[in-house]
Amino acid sequence: MADNASGSGAGPSKAIGSLAKKPPTTRQGTQKFKFTPVLPARRQKVEEVKTEPTPDTIPQDSSRGRGRGRGRGDGRGRGRGAGPRPPVELTASGPFAMGPAMSGNNARRSVPRSNFAIPTPGTDRASLGVGLTRMSAAGIKKENDLKGGKEKDKPSQEDEEVYSEPDEGVEIIDMEDVRQMDWMAPESLRKERCQAKRKVKKEEPADDGVGTVPAAAAEVEVDPANALDLSESEEEEEFEDLIEHFARQEPVTEDPSMREERLYFFQFPSPFPTFAAPAAAIPDSVPEVVAESSTKKVSFADDVKAGSLPGSARGSMAPPEPPAAVKADENPLIDGIIGTLEVYRSGAVKMRLHNGILLDVTAATQPSFLQHAVSLDLAEKRLTVLGEVNKRFVVSPDIETLLTAMEMSERTPPVVKGEDVKMDTS
Amino acid sequence: MDIDDEVVSRIPIRFSNALSPKIQIHQFPLLTRPLQVPPSAAASGKRITARLKPTVQRLEIHIPADTRAEVWNTDRGRELGAARIDDDREKNQESKGKEREGQEPRLSEVRMRSEQIQQKGAHMLGIVRDGQLHLHPISETHQLRPTLTYLDILSRKSKRSRVGGGSDSDSDDGPPPDPDEPAPTPAPKKEKKASGEAREVQVTARKSEDKGGLQQIQNGTSAARREMLIAIRSEEDESWQDLEFHDVTTVESETTFEGIFSQSDDILETETDVTAFLKDISGL
Repeated sequence: MADNASGSGAGPSKAIGSLAKKPPTTRQGTQKFKFTPVLPARRQKVEEVKTEPTPDTIPQDSSRGRGRGRGRGDGRGRGRGAGPRPPVELTASGPFAMGPAMSGNNARRSVPRSNFAIPTPGTDRASLGVGLTRMSAAGIKKENDLKGGKEKDKPSQEDEEVYSEPDEGVEIIDMEDVRQMDWMAPESLRKERCQAKRKVKKEEPADDGVGTVPAAAAEVEVDPANALDLSESEEEEEFEDLIEHFARQEPVTEDPSMREERLYFFQFPSPFPTFAAPAAAIPDSVPEVVAESSTKKVSFADDVKAGSLPGSARGSMAPPEPPAAVKADENPLIDGIIGTLEVYRSGAVKMRLHNGILLDVTAATQPSFLQHAVSLDLAEKRLTVLGEVNKRFVVSPDIETLLTAMEMSERTPPVVKGEDVKMDTS
Repeated sequence: MDIDDEVVSRIPIRFSNALSPKIQIHQFPLLTRPLQVPPSAAASGKRITARLKPTVQRLEIHIPADTRAEVWNTDRGRELGAARIDDDREKNQESKGKEREGQEPRLSEVRMRSEQIQQKGAHMLGIVRDGQLHLHPISETHQLRPTLTYLDILSRKSKRSRVGGGSDSDSDDGPPPDPDEPAPTPAPKKEKKASGEAREVQVTARKSEDKGGLQQIQNGTSAARREMLIAIRSEEDESWQDLEFHDVTTVESETTFEGIFSQSDDILETETDVTAFLKDISGL
């Protein structure tokens, strides 16, 4: 239905655009635009309508703008551009961030930050199903929103869709707003937009006035700014993002009901270094436990650990460990400082562990679904949700350091060989 | 990277394995909203529950469904609920009597069922607190998806009724049954709307496959298959253990959460070298 609405609704706006630019667009291949996702048309300012086709009419644009500029270029022109209409995902960062169910019972405990958006009552649709909650369920929202403002909760009135008068008994619902109709309402597809883009959008008309090439350039410039999900490969953005997480030393909000700590997920390279308290303190705690978590098959019981590990890995990393018995020691508690995390001016984030281990931290692919960190206590028969994982990072060895270390170890082999020989002879 | 790239800030990394084998990651690939009880269900006092089969590492989280008439087909819900009860019975996992008495079968919850997935590398949970990064190993990763096994029961049932009761039972449910068709074969799931021919072909294929499977089991030719069956059976044999489920807002969660953090200020040492990472890559 919104389909139709958008189809017919798109009429007017499109008409303007195509009237103005018909010949060039056909030459260029307007067809792409026919396939644009079903976006209901927005009220558009005239200038925007003009700006939109221009970049696309330029042949030069097709080289770049197609792949990259398309998705959002489209969005922009089609009606997205019509105004800074906030994305459908509504921002949440309040006690409501976890959804309606939470609203009642958070009094006694701080609520961790959530990845999910606040449910907002849709106030404007009064006449549909009476029992509907008018309250959307929380949905995942983007990282940007998370750090971003809380003020764009409600699309301002002027940004609302404008439709022709609906018939009697018929209500027009924007596909994107379906979510707000009820708690159970399905998710609408998310738009690849965020605030950063909006800024550029405003600049663009000016650029277009000057010439079209700048427009394209501007488009390119947009990318790093809003690219959390799109241009993960662009290092700059990535780094900025990382810093944001680690450099924040002060609690951002003073609201005590929010748990400020966010949960991160780190993927370390496979044998996680084994740490131990200085030998003098606890002589017998040979730390094999950590590695337990790094084995491929998650070894569940304690007794499965070190012995069953791939021998090569073990042998290479740990010097001959006399006490096999000590390994059976259950779960030596490891607790302490294992290194420092360094944030560089360039934006790089590195972990410097002891014994010269240097690791690069980069952002990993962020899944869009829910991830819980939980504690499953078998003895107590208790499953405790600790919170949502907010961000994933990949930690990889710093190549330069690694190579240097390899070189160093290359130099030592003679000794090792000698030992081997000795052992053989003996 | 750059040599003259200076360090802007340093924060200590702390490590703790205090809760070591307990911490897991649960992913909900089909869930793009928080795990929570729908408001209407919450209002009637329903809660999320969880249960576990410890040896086979199978976890289920049950989330109450939103059964308001606006969004819920009650008749269908009953139908499916009955199927689920059958399914439960078959799989030896009936809930013990608590909602059995006098209550009609209803599909009142969504069951998210876990599947353990392999971890690549060493997974850590990191939390920045007081300017320090706390790490805690994650021992397992599970993915939870809704289980719909009761649909099998339902389709099997409708098929059986079609075969037994003749064409009057399900008028719009596809063509009349093949007379050669043996009654109790489990029906392939989504065949309802298939055209007559396509359906026959499907059924035939299914039959031969099943037979082959049976023979294989009898002959002991397919070890993999047998293994799978054994795994399934052992899972069915094990009984569920109910778990207390504590959401993030609970005190229990907070307590556990605090336990993640490293307490001691000891500086730990390691013998591990960077090269260990490289050496560990198999096949090098």
